[in-house]
Amino acid sequence: MVFNSLTFVAFFIIMLILHNLPFSWKVKKINLLLASYVFYAAWNPPFILLLWLSTVVDFFVGRALYNQANKHKRKILLVISLIGNLGMLCFFKYGTFLLENFTHLVNVFGMDFHPAKPNIILPAGISFYTFTTLCYTIDMYKKKSEPVKTMLDFSLFVTFFPHLVAGPIVRPPQLVPQFESPRKATQQQLMQGLLLISLGLFMKVVLADSFLAPSANDVFNSKAILQKLDAWTGVLAFSGQIFFDFAGYSTCAVGVALCLGFVLPQNFLYPYAAIGFSDFWRRWHITLSAWLRDYLYIPLGGNRNGKFRTYINLMITMLLGGLWHGANWTFVVWGALHGGYLWGEKIIQDFRAKTKAVTLSAIPSGELGVLGVIPKAFKEKTIRNFIYAMITFFFINVTWVFFRAPDFTSAWHLLSAMFYTMPKAEALLTTLSMLKVGIIVILMVAFHWMMRDTKVLTVAEKMPWWLLGIIWSVLILLLIWSQESSSSFIYFQF
Amino acid sequence: MKNSSLAKAGILAFCLILIVVLSWEYYVREKGFETTFNDDPALWTHQRDRVYEPVDKSTVFIGSSRIKFDLDIPSWETITGDHAIQLACVGSTPIPILENLANDKKFKGRLVVDVTEGLFFLTSPGSARRPVENLKYFKERTPAQQAGFYINRLLESNFVFLDKERLSLNAFADGIHVKNRPGVYHFPGFPPDFGRVKFNRQEYMTDKFSSDTSMQNIVKNIWVQMVKGSKEPPASGTKLDSILMAVKTSVDKIKARGGQVLFVRTPSSGGSKIGESMGFPREKYWDRLLAFTNCPGIHYADYPAIDHFICPENSHLSQTDAKVFTQNFVTILHEEKGWNFPNMSVAVK
Repeated sequence: MVFNSLTFVAFFIIMLILHNLPFSWKVKKINLLLASYVFYAAWNPPFILLLWLSTVVDFFVGRALYNQANKHKRKILLVISLIGNLGMLCFFKYGTFLLENFTHLVNVFGMDFHPAKPNIILPAGISFYTFTTLCYTIDMYKKKSEPVKTMLDFSLFVTFFPHLVAGPIVRPPQLVPQFESPRKATQQQLMQGLLLISLGLFMKVVLADSFLAPSANDVFNSKAILQKLDAWTGVLAFSGQIFFDFAGYSTCAVGVALCLGFVLPQNFLYPYAAIGFSDFWRRWHITLSAWLRDYLYIPLGGNRNGKFRTYINLMITMLLGGLWHGANWTFVVWGALHGGYLWGEKIIQDFRAKTKAVTLSAIPSGELGVLGVIPKAFKEKTIRNFIYAMITFFFINVTWVFFRAPDFTSAWHLLSAMFYTMPKAEALLTTLSMLKVGIIVILMVAFHWMMRDTKVLTVAEKMPWWLLGIIWSVLILLLIWSQESSSSFIYFQF
Repeated sequence: MKNSSLAKAGILAFCLILIVVLSWEYYVREKGFETTFNDDPALWTHQRDRVYEPVDKSTVFIGSSRIKFDLDIPSWETITGDHAIQLACVGSTPIPILENLANDKKFKGRLVVDVTEGLFFLTSPGSARRPVENLKYFKERTPAQQAGFYINRLLESNFVFLDKERLSLNAFADGIHVKNRPGVYHFPGFPPDFGRVKFNRQEYMTDKFSSDTSMQNIVKNIWVQMVKGSKEPPASGTKLDSILMAVKTSVDKIKARGGQVLFVRTPSSGGSKIGESMGFPREKYWDRLLAFTNCPGIHYADYPAIDHFICPENSHLSQTDAKVFTQNFVTILHEEKGWNFPNMSVAVK
C-alpha cells in the first residue's frame, strides 16, 4: 500500500493504537511484523514468499558467516548469499532486459533467435530489501557487527514497513538495536512524526502529482519536436517531480517510523543546493550513495590504488548505480553521465589540489560524497557558491532526461530541443502549466539554498507555535484540496 | 521548541483544518453543488466486476458519454427489474472494452453498445485512452486499492467538496484564463454545472445547466471546436473495414457463448445532428455496422417515441428526457427486439 492512500491512513491508525496498547514488547514486535507483511501483501500477496525466502536464507547464512572460522567455507557461504539475493534481483528485475539484449546480440551475428517475451512482474521494493539483506550478510562476513539474535528481530529489520519498499536503505546497526528494547514514541516524537508525514504527503501529492507531473508527462510523452521553452519546462518539471516524489516518500517513511518510536536515517539533504556532483550525492538518496560507496566503491579499491583506478572505480560504481534504478540502457547512461561529472570534478580538484585526500572508510556513512570532504569554502552561502549550485543544478537536469525518457530516441529529441532551435518546433505546454512549473521550481531551489545546512525539524522547532500550526494546516488543507488519487511513488518501480 | 509547543501547533492545525473544511463544505453546498463521484478507473472497475451477474438479471452498457447521460439507470432498473451495469467512458471508443468482454469467457450476458460515430469509428490512441486505463486498473489493481475504494466511496458519498472535476486545486487553477502561445492546444473546460456522476456511473445534467442557454452554448462551442481540431478524418476504406472486422470478431465471440449484443444510436440535435449526418452517413456506417455484425440495432431516428428530443447542448439528454428515453427504449427493446426481462414490471408488459 502507498502512504498517500486512505487505506494506509486506516492501517496506520490501527498500528498506532496497537503499538500503544499495554502488550509485551515481543507482542508489539510481532504486531509490527505482521503489519509489515500486510503492508507488503497489499500490493501482490504471492510476492511475500520472496520476502520470506530472502529473510530466512540471510538470517541463517548471516549467522553461519559470523560463526564460521574456516575462511574457505565463509567465502562459499558469502557466495551463496550473493547468488541468492542478486540472482533473485537479476531474474525479476533484469530477466527481460538480459534476454532482449542477448537476442539483439545473437541476431547481429546472424542467428534467427526470437524467444517468447517473458511476462515477469517486478516485486515491489525488491531492489531496496535486497540491498538491506545484502549489507547484513556482507557485514557478517567482515564481522563488522554481531548477528541479529532472533529471527523475529531480523525479520522486522528486513520487513519493517516504513522502509520496506523504497528505503531509506537501513544498515543493521541503525535499526536492529532499536528492536532490542521496548520503544514507544514520546509526545514530541509523535508530533514530529506527524509533521514529517504531513510534509512528505504535501510534497508527493500536491507538488509532484498535482502540479508537476502533468507537464513532465506531456513533454516526455510527446512525439513532436518541441520548442526550447517546452523542453526545458518539461525537464525542470521532472526535476521537481522526482525530488518531491522520492523525498516526499522518504520524509513520510521517517515520520511514520518516528510515530512508532523508531529513528530512520535521512535520505535527502536539499540536493538542488549541492555545489558539485560529489556534494549532490551527499544530499540525494543518501542511503543508496552511502551503500554504493561502502559496499561497492571501497571494496573495488576506492581511491587507494592510484588515480587511474580511482576513476575506473568511480565509473563502475555510477554505472551500476544507474542500472540499479532500472533495467534499461538509458539508466546506464544516466549513471555514466554522473560518473563523467564526478571525473570532471575530480580532475578540477586534483588540478587545484585544494582538497586533501581522505581515507573514505574512516568516515561515517552518509556524511560525505564519494570524492571526499566538501571544501569549507563551499559551505558558505555566498553568491559565488549559489552560482556554482545553479551550474550543478543545470548539469543534473541534463541527466534527468535519460532517467525519464523511455528510450534514446526520445532522450535525443528532447536534448536537441533543449539546446538547439529546431525548425518547425511545436509549442506544447499552456502558459498556466509553465507558470506552475516555473513558480514551484524557483521556490524549490530557493528553499534548498536557504535550508542547505539545516533540517526541517530544526527550523520548525524554532518557529512560534502558532505560525507552525498555521503552516501545518495549510499543508494539509492543500493536500485535501488537491484530491489526487493514490498514485504510486516513482521509486517503487526500482 | 518545547514538547508542549509542538503539541500546541498540532492542535491549532487540527482545529484550523476542521473549521476550514467544514466551512468549505457548507459553502459549496450553499452554492448548489451536490455529491458526485470521481469517475476514475476504480469506480469503473467496481462496475466491471458486476458483469458476471446472471443473464436474466443484468444488462451491460458500453459506449461513450451519450449512453451515460441518456440512460437513466433508476428508470431502467424499475421498469426491467434487472441491473444496468454502466461501463461507457466519456470521449472514448467502446471497442477496447468490447474486446475485453469478448475475451472474458465468463461473460455471457446482454450487452448494449452505444454508437457515437465520431468516437466509435476513431482509431487515434486518444479515443482509447480512458478504456485502456480502466482495463489496466481492472487487471492490475491491488488489494490495497480495493480497500481504498470503499473508504473513498464512504467519503465521496458524504462530502460535496470532494469533487475533483470542479473543486480541486487544479480545477481552480485551470479556471484562471491566461493567454497561450500560438499553436498550443488547450481543451476548453466544461461549465461546472454540466454533469454530475452517480455511484452507478450514470452522468446527469444539472437542472441549472438544462435551463441556462449561455452554459449550453459554451458546450455547443466545445463540440464545434473538437470537430474542427480533430486531425483524423472519418474512417473509410480499409481502415473502416478493419474496425468493423474487429467489432464483428468480438460480437461473434459473445454470441457464441449465448450472449446478446445490440447497438443503439442515441439522440443528437442541432449542429451535432447535422454534422454527424454529413460526416458519418447512416448507410455507410450505422447500416453497415448492423449488417456486417449481424446484430440488431435501435437508431433513434427510426422510432418516433425517441426521435423528438432536443438535446440542450446538441449531444446529450437532460435528466427529464433521459427518463422518458429510457422508458421508451425499454419498450422498443421488449416489443420490437424481443428482449425479455423476467422481472419486468407488469405495467410495461
